[in-house]
Amino acid sequence: MKKSGLTLGIFLLIIMTDIGESVAEILMKKGLIATGISSISMDNIREFIVMNASSYFIWAGVFIYILSFLAWIVILSRIELSVAFPIGSTSYIFVPILSIIFLHESVGVLRWVGILFIVAGIHFVSKSAKSRKKEPEKI
Amino acid sequence: MIFIILLILLAEVCGVAGQILFKKTINGLEAPDMRSHTSYLVFLKNVLRVPAVWIGFCCVGSGVAIWLTALAQADLSLVFPIDSMQYVVTLIAARIFLDEKMDRMKLGGTFLIMVGIALVAMS
Repeated sequence: MKKSGLTLGIFLLIIMTDIGESVAEILMKKGLIATGISSISMDNIREFIVMNASSYFIWAGVFIYILSFLAWIVILSRIELSVAFPIGSTSYIFVPILSIIFLHESVGVLRWVGILFIVAGIHFVSKSAKSRKKEPEKI
Repeated sequence: MIFIILLILLAEVCGVAGQILFKKTINGLEAPDMRSHTSYLVFLKNVLRVPAVWIGFCCVGSGVAIWLTALAQADLSLVFPIDSMQYVVTLIAARIFLDEKMDRMKLGGTFLIMVGIALVAMS
């Protein structure tokens, strides 16, 4: 009745979860930058917390994190942890790309090579999950 | 130096312990029916009712806290390559505690991902 194993839908859900986490991280970083506080000490920690707690960026980040976690729970109900976890490394691809676009950071050649390795690795892990016909998990 | 490495490994063990607790809990529950939206909500509600999941949250949370502590004290180019060890720790833990099967594709693919992350970190 139910399909278990890595389907395209689950794969896309993992990628969406990763994009969600990456976006959440970018939002939080934006929020942290917006406070204008670069080093935290006992003198400004109260101000630091208050500014973050009243930042829309921070709250949007937290909200997206929670959504990502709920999606992660659904993902784990479908596939093995040892497949889901490596594929979850796509955030190492999305964070640099989002950082270029939204934080105007520069990304070097070595980083692109690393990203290629990650993509190849994800490909193999996904193949491992597909090639094995698993018994459907108990219903 | 050694202290930082141990700290990162401790953070990884915490994070992976959380993931194992999540997956263990989920394996013990009825998976949601893909065609029914309400079954997802019921499923999520059931998951969040299990104490082990909240212990898992605490594990992941303390993992992040320890990781940030390590991050604050060490060179980033050191922290990230060591942090990619979490993939190895996860595979070992999944093999031992969840009885998940390993094969060449999975191990090789995970190794490539680790190399990739180390390269990303070095740049």
